[in-house]
Amino acid sequence: MPRNALILLIILVLFLPFLPLLVWSVAQGWFFPQLIPQQWTLEHWQQLLSASSRIGEGVMQSLAIALTTTVLSLLVGIPAGRAMGLMEFPGKPVLKLFLLTPIIVSPLATLMGIQFVLIRLGLSGTLLGVVLVHLMPTIPYMTLVLASVFANFDVGYEIQARSLGASPIKVFSQVTLPLIAPGVAVGALFAFLISWNEFLLTFFVGGGSVFTLPMILFTLLQGGNNGLIAAVAITSIVPGLIFLFVASKALQNEAALGGLGSV
Amino acid sequence: MGQLVLERLTKRFSDIPAVLDLWLEIEAGEILSLLGPSGCGKSTTLQMIAGVLRPDTGAVQLDGAMLNDVPPEKRDIALVLQRGLLFPHLTVGENVAFGLKMRGVNRADRDAQANAMLRQVQLAGFGDRKPSELSGGQAQRVAVARSLVIQPKLLLLDEPLSALDANLREEMQDLILHLQAQTGVTMMVVTHDQAEAVVMSDRIALMFDGQLRQVATPEHLYRYPCDEATARFMGGVNFFPGHAQGHRWTLATGETLMSDVAQNGAVQVTIRPEQMRVLDHPTAGVNTFAAKVMSQRFTGTQRRLTLSLHSELVLQAWVNPTQEWAIAQDVYVQLPPDALWCFPSDSNPAADLSLSIT
Repeated sequence: MPRNALILLIILVLFLPFLPLLVWSVAQGWFFPQLIPQQWTLEHWQQLLSASSRIGEGVMQSLAIALTTTVLSLLVGIPAGRAMGLMEFPGKPVLKLFLLTPIIVSPLATLMGIQFVLIRLGLSGTLLGVVLVHLMPTIPYMTLVLASVFANFDVGYEIQARSLGASPIKVFSQVTLPLIAPGVAVGALFAFLISWNEFLLTFFVGGGSVFTLPMILFTLLQGGNNGLIAAVAITSIVPGLIFLFVASKALQNEAALGGLGSV
Repeated sequence: MGQLVLERLTKRFSDIPAVLDLWLEIEAGEILSLLGPSGCGKSTTLQMIAGVLRPDTGAVQLDGAMLNDVPPEKRDIALVLQRGLLFPHLTVGENVAFGLKMRGVNRADRDAQANAMLRQVQLAGFGDRKPSELSGGQAQRVAVARSLVIQPKLLLLDEPLSALDANLREEMQDLILHLQAQTGVTMMVVTHDQAEAVVMSDRIALMFDGQLRQVATPEHLYRYPCDEATARFMGGVNFFPGHAQGHRWTLATGETLMSDVAQNGAVQVTIRPEQMRVLDHPTAGVNTFAAKVMSQRFTGTQRRLTLSLHSELVLQAWVNPTQEWAIAQDVYVQLPPDALWCFPSDSNPAADLSLSIT
């Protein structure tokens, strides 16, 4: 019973900040002395779903960018994480530090230079350009998560599978990938959410022509319609919640956690 | 089918040789143990045979075919590793059928073969369980079944029993030997446990510091070790410096022994502690000396006596556990001439020391 109460408390603390957002999104004006709004309305949600709003477009663009970023960082992060976690090579600590630099150094410091290069390559203001800059923070996260997964992975499984007749590709698809799946799910969740919520990089590199959900949210914040802002904010949280829910289901699968220590 | 030849196999890790110039032939259907202390290069050798590591120089040949450039999955060599390493995301049945699936065998056939194999390792009906539901011994049996079901030419076992407790180990030894006899597969066991190697193998290849020291039947290795390190590794405890003149060997402590084997020069004399005879009354036999019991230890299957001769030569005799002895009891110890063995000891540090003193 005290355990359940504790869980309830944690849920409450986590979700309480969202309550005002929910209220705002269905309130018609809500000013200081009032404890609850005087009038309720669905007009913000209607506005959000109406054809004239660019929310649909924003969701699609955000989704396209976040999914592409996730897939690309998996393609880089799995082999890189394997090398970092399983192999010993000279310069490994330096490389690990080097990997952290995009996380440590503020993107503001590097954005001007990156923008300059992207303009030259004709990638500024394109979806591809935005995906490329999103990879800056996601690849280090992905690599570090998978490095810790592989550090607990027994290469014996791969050796065993090969001696039983599996080609390297079969070994990866039939043995390695299923065994590291929980780690891959965690890494993908990180990459997706970082990309989904990224504002600054998208703002600079997108140059106004790439219009993701955070961009829309920012534009609305300047407009000052609190109700609509709340509705968009809630919309932008939903995919993250869904992803988290699915990933946590995957992580609860005990068989999938076999051989996975510290994630 | 399954004749393995290793030719001048060498592997270095950053210039330090892990395996050096290794020659070894294993006959088809033979069981050979690669025995040695940890770090002697036996696992490196196994990995080169399996194709996980590439030898720097030398060749691995199976049935006359050169394997150096053949990837592990095409070598027809199956592995059983120490920890069993059943794939945790697959059921026991899927684990056993894994190799068949990789070979494109259809589902019905591979299920039938996997179930037959599971019956052979006495795990019929375990097919739907997860590896996490098995005990250590069961998991290891599944690992053996998984490797044998693909009918490999050669089965490599890397310390297959060291994670199991003593009773289980003997059961597994019997099972593996039984399966080997049934399938006739050539088998190579890598182990650091001399008792295990002795029980399981037709021949033992003893390895120290990356090099083969002696390849022989277990009995030969026990009775005729090629040097002191080999003898010690095989459980030898009695080593006495001496001088040999044909069959007449004189120990540094003064005793003269008659031996069936002839040797000349400075030698290190050894005798297995189990082969000594200890009596409580004088006897007329050759190589018999009066001694005192210094200490004794009861191990269940043996009584281990430490004896001291009048010359203060100390030796170990492992005798019948049912006979009781008292500390300081006067006894007579006999060293049978056919049990004595020796190796030249030109590099014996003790001998060098005595020379420099005189």
